[in-house]
Amino acid sequence: MSQEIDETLLKNIIRDVLGEMKSADTPISFKGGAVATDGPSQENSVDWFKSTGVAKPGRSKDEVVIAVGPAFATVMTQTIIKQSHKDVLRQLIAGIEEEGLKARVIKVYRTSDVSFISAEADKLSGSGIAIAVQSKGTTIIHQKDQDPLNNLELFPQAPVLTLDTFRAIGKNAAQYAKGMSPSPVPTVNDQMARPRYQALAALMHIKETKQVVVGKPAEEIDVNFN
Amino acid sequence: MSSEVDDLVAKIMSELNGNGGTATQAPSTDSGKDDPDLTAQDFPLFKKHPDLVKSPSGKPLKEISFQDIVDGKVDSKELRIAPSTLRMQGKIASEAGRSQIQNNFQRAAELTVVPDDRLLEMYGALRPYRSSKQDLLDIADELENKYHAPICSNWFKEAATNYEKHKKLKGDN
Amino acid sequence: MKRQKRFEKLEKRPVHLDGFVKEWDDEGLVAMHSKNDPAPSLKVENGVITELDGKKREDFDLIDQYIAEYGINIKNAEKANAMSSKSIAKMLIDPNVSRSEVIKVTTALTPAKASDVINQLNFAEMIMAVQKMRPRRTPFTQAHITNTLDNPAEIAADGAEAALRGFPELETTTAVARYAPLNAISLMVGAQAGRPGVITQCSVEEAVELGLGMRGFTAYAETISVYGTDKVFTDGDDTPWSKGFLASCYASRGLKMRFSSGSGSEVLMGYTEGKSMLYLESRCIYITKASGVQGLQNGSVSCIGIPSAVPSGLREVLGENLMCMMMDLECASSNDQTFSHSDIRRTERMLGQFIAGTDYISSGYAGEENSDNTFAGSNMDVLDYDDYESMERDLAVNGGILPITEQQSIKIRNKAAKAIQAVFDGLGLPEITDEEVEAATYGSTSDDMPKRDMTQDIKAAQDLMDRGVTVSDIIKALDDHDLDDTAQAVFKLAQQKICGDYLQTSAIFDKDWNCISAVNDNNDYMGPGTGYRVWEDEDQWNKIKNIPWALDPQKVDF
Repeated sequence: MSQEIDETLLKNIIRDVLGEMKSADTPISFKGGAVATDGPSQENSVDWFKSTGVAKPGRSKDEVVIAVGPAFATVMTQTIIKQSHKDVLRQLIAGIEEEGLKARVIKVYRTSDVSFISAEADKLSGSGIAIAVQSKGTTIIHQKDQDPLNNLELFPQAPVLTLDTFRAIGKNAAQYAKGMSPSPVPTVNDQMARPRYQALAALMHIKETKQVVVGKPAEEIDVNFN
Repeated sequence: MSSEVDDLVAKIMSELNGNGGTATQAPSTDSGKDDPDLTAQDFPLFKKHPDLVKSPSGKPLKEISFQDIVDGKVDSKELRIAPSTLRMQGKIASEAGRSQIQNNFQRAAELTVVPDDRLLEMYGALRPYRSSKQDLLDIADELENKYHAPICSNWFKEAATNYEKHKKLKGDN
Repeated sequence: MKRQKRFEKLEKRPVHLDGFVKEWDDEGLVAMHSKNDPAPSLKVENGVITELDGKKREDFDLIDQYIAEYGINIKNAEKANAMSSKSIAKMLIDPNVSRSEVIKVTTALTPAKASDVINQLNFAEMIMAVQKMRPRRTPFTQAHITNTLDNPAEIAADGAEAALRGFPELETTTAVARYAPLNAISLMVGAQAGRPGVITQCSVEEAVELGLGMRGFTAYAETISVYGTDKVFTDGDDTPWSKGFLASCYASRGLKMRFSSGSGSEVLMGYTEGKSMLYLESRCIYITKASGVQGLQNGSVSCIGIPSAVPSGLREVLGENLMCMMMDLECASSNDQTFSHSDIRRTERMLGQFIAGTDYISSGYAGEENSDNTFAGSNMDVLDYDDYESMERDLAVNGGILPITEQQSIKIRNKAAKAIQAVFDGLGLPEITDEEVEAATYGSTSDDMPKRDMTQDIKAAQDLMDRGVTVSDIIKALDDHDLDDTAQAVFKLAQQKICGDYLQTSAIFDKDWNCISAVNDNNDYMGPGTGYRVWEDEDQWNKIKNIPWALDPQKVDF
């Protein structure tokens, strides 16, 4: 990977994340092993990303569902390498549409785990194919009837995912939905991503996990890029 | 004797489920009462007691030859560990001070007769939010009655109780 | 601000690319001890544990329940837990107290008590304790064998070279999950071509992985993950009962297995209950013990960026390895994931396990260049071989990796690549060309390999599973191509699975298929002059001494 990451920017993100989290921090309840939280942060209202109610199962074979994590766009706005969530969705959708299929966006609340987000989403997808994206950027393509922790393609290293990669992921997902066997999106391996980003990834995931609402069904999202 | 009927049913079922055409030793005739008394000194069995090790159909280990495999005369299900061998290894582990390993191998000995696909399904049923309490109890019954696997049957009953209490049953998420 | 020149230079050092974070107890960002960790406590009534680490039986969560039921040797429990943590810690390093005496006490402790014992030890004491407490007398290590293109010839060649260098266990995974059966077969064949007796695994989704083992494509498994809090366990898509059952499933098919866990996983997955990494890891170790699994891969593993970012983090990592050994479990002690940009810290990472010796010092030394390591990179890779071997020689330590010559490497890589070429042909899989065999023989990374049609490979992999191909077909394919010794080695591995010797604690095979485990090679360390010493293991020491790049002083031309 040749992408240069601005160290100062990165430090600022860490500081921001830490700062926000410190203010939201409250004492822990140890009853029943509950996690330390006073419930989710207030979701911000975002003009381009609006919930339209509970997500319904799709009937159309030519749709791919894109499911995002509970903090996506409304609590956090950028991936671990500062790609805006808006651009990420724009590229995924463009990739799907390039193949002549429709994209439908939902937000999952029950879990912040990328595999389980996808496992909830593929059941709602008319084609049975879903893409799940965490706020930090980790992405998976999943097919209905696969075990949750299995996958068609998994992109576990969020720091190497560029906008081009997201477009290619959208394209491949659409091809799976059409019953094709695309060549997997090339795996980029940055073995130094862990030492550099793992602590930050943890902080971002903690923040997303605080948005989890047990039992809350996924919501349909109306996305508007105009 | 109903247990003989059950054995027969289990055997036929396991063959139908693709467990090979070879006769799997019926569980009730392989209860472990004839297992030899081993200690840690008897390890490794391959070098010290190859005579005690049998294939699932009861063929001595050293009689399964390379040539027979190449000639396609050995079903691949014969290349598997037999329940009696697992119990012997369990005894050795326990004699070496590791009783929990023996418990595991006793469960494993019971599971040798469960066909691959069914075994994977049973594992899947124990994963969180997959099964109702009744689903788990049904598998417990199946293990007890069809496969003569009382220890594993209890394992599922115990899971059913604990999953109910700690909300890991289907629909709890 | 006007910059101070030395500080400017320091900031440019690689260590400044690493992540460092201050402690935060309430989110579990703390290594050894959190203010929220429970105080050790235990009550036994009529042979049943009714109180564990501050919780009454009715308040137990799923993990407490499982540990109380199966994980603690109740007979000695009250006596052992009444001892002071300091006195137990002293037993761990006292050469006059044998390992088996220590085990009687340590396997009866509660998780919080065991954590408290570890908290008494400094890093040097942990090294001494590990030297005595690892179950197997002879230390070894393990390698990862992967590449980003999942190229089968390269997997076989890298597997064979690693086998020849002395790794008794090799682990692969996939870049694309659906390649799993091909990678598993390529590694098994390559390993047996390299050195008979090496066992192999393919780390993929739990059910898929077991399926590969059932067909005889793998011989063991280790990425059966367990976690320290109920919530994270659930996100890992398992419970203690499902994992315990899975352990028995593996044993029922004659497959060796160990669990995997590590500090930092609960932080990464967002549910720590505010507990320290060490305490949460203690629960994982006890779940492993409770399941009757013979061993554990631990030491933070893929989450190493978390403990290494906080104070005392690497001390904690060695501490959790030690705790695993205190429970009489085989320990594959991590050192398997990229951890730092700094070469100095990379060496620091493995120092404890390397000097003390563990069952597997690394549970994944990169047997390829790190750019090809699809576990996202290891702490050390093939380009560190000569440094590593020099360290073994300098310190007279058996780190489990042996020097080989370039000629040996070329020969064995070629043999393995040809063997997998034959197997692909015999099984009707997409052809491995002579050009690929040549590239795998002389190449170092997947960039050196001709590109394969991945879509065809993936289809063939699915087809192979649908056709019900098993290890018998592989043996036949090798035999049909007159690759006798590799065919025999794969057959002997199949034989060993019927016998199950290698299901015992810390078991591996030597080149003659002798099973070496903690049962017949138990660690007898009791101070100087006892236990394993590499210079008494003459064959190994001679190989380590004779690195090919050392001058022979009697044959130097001036």
